[in-house]
Amino acid sequence: MTDAGQAPPPPPELDSQLAALVPCEIVVGLPTYNNAGTVPAVAAAVRVGLAAHFADVSAALVNVDAGSMDQTPELLAAEAGMSVVLARHEAPSVERAAVPFHGVPGRDAALRVLFDVARRLNARVLVLLEADVTSVTEAWIERLARPVWEAKADLVSPVYVRHRHEGTMTNLILAPLVRTLFGRRLRQPFGGAFAVSRHLLDHVLAHPLRPTTGRDRMDLWLTGTAIADGFAVWEAWLGPRHVESRTRTTDLPTMLAQSLGAVFTVMDRDAEFWLGVTGSEPLSTVGERARPPAALGTVSAERMIDAFRRGMRDLVEVWELILAPETLGRVLSLDMRDVATCRFPDRLWAHVVFDFALGHHHGVVHREHLLRSLVPLYLGRTAAFVATTQSTDEVGTDAALERVGAAFEAQKLYLTERWR
Amino acid sequence: MSRRPSGGRDWYKDAVFYEVHVKAFKDGNGDGIGDFSGLTARLDYLKDLGVDCLWILPMYASPLRDDGYDIADFHSIHPAYGTVEDFQKFLDEAHARGLRVIADLVMNHTSSAHPWFQASRSDPASPYADYYVWSDTDQRYREARVIFIDAEKTNWTFDPIRKAYYWHRFFGHQPDLNYDNPAVRAAMLDVMRFWLDRGLDGFRCDAVPYLVEREGTNCENLPETHAVLREFRRVIDHEYGGDRVLLAEANQWPEDVRQYFGDGDEFHMAFHFPLMPRIYMAVRLEERLPIVDIFTQTPALPPSAQWCLFLRNHDELTLEMVTNEERAFMYYAYAQDPEMKLNLGIRRRLAPLLDNDRRRIELLNSLLLTLPGSPIVYYGDEIGMGDNVHLGDRDGVRTPMQWSPDRNAGFSAADESKLYLPVITDPVHGYQTVNVAAQARTPSSLLNTMKRLIAARRSSPAFGRGAIEFLRPRNQRILAYLRQHGRDTLLIVNNLAGSSQPVELDLRALAGCTPVEILGQSRFPPIRETPYVLSLGPHGYYWFRIERPDGGDEPYGIERTAI
Repeated sequence: MTDAGQAPPPPPELDSQLAALVPCEIVVGLPTYNNAGTVPAVAAAVRVGLAAHFADVSAALVNVDAGSMDQTPELLAAEAGMSVVLARHEAPSVERAAVPFHGVPGRDAALRVLFDVARRLNARVLVLLEADVTSVTEAWIERLARPVWEAKADLVSPVYVRHRHEGTMTNLILAPLVRTLFGRRLRQPFGGAFAVSRHLLDHVLAHPLRPTTGRDRMDLWLTGTAIADGFAVWEAWLGPRHVESRTRTTDLPTMLAQSLGAVFTVMDRDAEFWLGVTGSEPLSTVGERARPPAALGTVSAERMIDAFRRGMRDLVEVWELILAPETLGRVLSLDMRDVATCRFPDRLWAHVVFDFALGHHHGVVHREHLLRSLVPLYLGRTAAFVATTQSTDEVGTDAALERVGAAFEAQKLYLTERWR
Repeated sequence: MSRRPSGGRDWYKDAVFYEVHVKAFKDGNGDGIGDFSGLTARLDYLKDLGVDCLWILPMYASPLRDDGYDIADFHSIHPAYGTVEDFQKFLDEAHARGLRVIADLVMNHTSSAHPWFQASRSDPASPYADYYVWSDTDQRYREARVIFIDAEKTNWTFDPIRKAYYWHRFFGHQPDLNYDNPAVRAAMLDVMRFWLDRGLDGFRCDAVPYLVEREGTNCENLPETHAVLREFRRVIDHEYGGDRVLLAEANQWPEDVRQYFGDGDEFHMAFHFPLMPRIYMAVRLEERLPIVDIFTQTPALPPSAQWCLFLRNHDELTLEMVTNEERAFMYYAYAQDPEMKLNLGIRRRLAPLLDNDRRRIELLNSLLLTLPGSPIVYYGDEIGMGDNVHLGDRDGVRTPMQWSPDRNAGFSAADESKLYLPVITDPVHGYQTVNVAAQARTPSSLLNTMKRLIAARRSSPAFGRGAIEFLRPRNQRILAYLRQHGRDTLLIVNNLAGSSQPVELDLRALAGCTPVEILGQSRFPPIRETPYVLSLGPHGYYWFRIERPDGGDEPYGIERTAI
């Protein structure tokens, strides 16, 4: 059989690399894992963006690699054209064997290393980018970094311009849930990129509850901490987000288990973030919203409904353990015979997601299976979303998504009453 | 009680188990015998290894005439291992690390030193008089075989105090409990509650086929025995929320073991005894038939049930579940020294059984971790520990864990002469060569390979839950199979031969897909309509994840942008 892979030797000691650098005002962080095909374009965007918008500002590119076997770090260092720090982070073999939805095995460990390096370089701004997002432009650097540089924001979260059928997991589950939990209408809570201020970095690095183990929790914890502790959180409109990756999972159940599992874990461990929160507010934004791209492929609502029906056939015994009887009763009576007429009421959907959060919290079913068994319900909800927004424009789609978020928010008491 | 690891009721289906003897793992108080404080101190090692659940061999008060399988008090810990408080601390610390713990429970019999037996033999009017199977004659149940044929001639022993015979399926000092007596069933349930209340995650139930006796039968696998076991399961499920596991030790043929799962209302798990010797046969014969054949004979299980797979355990490599011809072959192949034979088995550890051949050790672990069921690793086998066939009974495979090249293998600070058993010192498997400390520092060591394999096994639920489909390549030395669960498909290819082998696999059903080797993340050429050609080195193995082409991977058209 093949060996675990011939990884290149580790980079020089981090301490000696940092000692050779003067303090930097902007640090751009780039976690990587086998991204040789895309890092040159990302490095070029960083170089051009910094030159165009922060010409006289000292900056460094910090790469944190999960053990690439395609010489990603070496290629990045050669293409960067600026000060580069190369570091490694711990990445569990299981995540290298099956790369998570965000593309970086051990992303939380990568973020911990980056936070530490940015602090040691005394950076005013840390900008984090994704190594396999090829649509990155120089403008992204400006939009993410500027609000922090001008001391208006402590955390800037990205909003990508998307076709209405893109981001259905984010739009229908993750964003409404995070909005309900944190009281901020964060549109794309797992946007991958972000910018963070030195002030917030100092705060999280000294925070006694900073995650030091576990997976995929850091992004959300950072956002939760920033909001809960009164830091300024903004959003930046970026362009479309094209990912070119051969390793990121595109398996829906896996993506759902990982992303929603991260939210549920934060709910479990950091309940102080959200139990007392009511209502929600929009965030300050920077940048202009561009025209959404054309659809990338053909969306098959028929197949989604088929999957929903298969779930009704095979998973009812599992759902019985998770869903409240009245929720299950209403799900079972949904009319999902036809794509054109299928509907999934927002209030019912909020109860479904909350029941899964409660089932996860109380451990009623193996958590991985619990999360995976939500997939047919999510596909049913998505089919209904596709059906109802088929002929609407951007404004209509936004309104439909706002109704989803508002329904989650209105039902929060349902969740908190059953949580303890 | 500590907070037990979260997870659903069928957590055991994805779990890797680790069998450990408290006395053998780590001595915490320097008396030469492993104990719970030592075991607790080594939990981080087990967490790091990647296992999910520990199976603790009998830990109860006992005269230790059968290494603890002769229990004298179900409610206390053997003093050499610690106290109930020490056990609780161990359990809490394990749970804090996300590790579960199941414990051995001997249901069939007690030690003759147990107060129940002492009361039963001395006073026919006592409440315990009917706790055991007494008879005025030794002519009852004559169709029941003697199991420990090397030590016992009969299943009846005359007790001079009660002046009657008592029934025992194992040693004479292990009288069988009388499960026809409702008081015995209630007492055993109370024993289980005592430990489950402390947070224990379940029991490995010893020798379950023999609970009830009936005249005119072989007294094994009787319907009355199943009724008792179903009663236990019902009560435990009801009182403990349904996620405590019961694992059956029923050394029987698959169709008989199948009954122990009931309709999903008896045991959650049972050992697959017949598979294990056939794995060794297949490797020795360089021929896949023994493994494929035994799976063909293995009946389907209820959805909630799971097989437990193992390569070695604390007993001899049992050959009860093979034919006489197969047994002769196994003795010939693996136990040419008569000292190595015991009862109907071979008392060797994994590494010496395989002549310390690293390739074969890895291959067998590949099979263990990829065939349908939940695997159990026997302590020390993850570093290739050796055995000592010159120690009595099965002690040769129960020697101290080898932690380091220090004195007593880092197992104990006691004087060497005080160790419960001597450490392995032979030049090949001795602790100076084979130990955790050395292997932890060597990236290519067996220990680190085991960690990688166990981690890789976590990458897909298909390993624990997938259906199996054997492929039938012309080359009989190749054992290849698909594991399928939901949208996850795995292709496992094993070379049973000690020489390099080519193989052509018929994978037309997966045409267009790409095999991705899981451990190295290497993408292999796409599968086409033509035979898929692979070559494997001696005892080589591949674990592939089958990646579907874009269209096949994205049936809904939303996958790449869903988040």
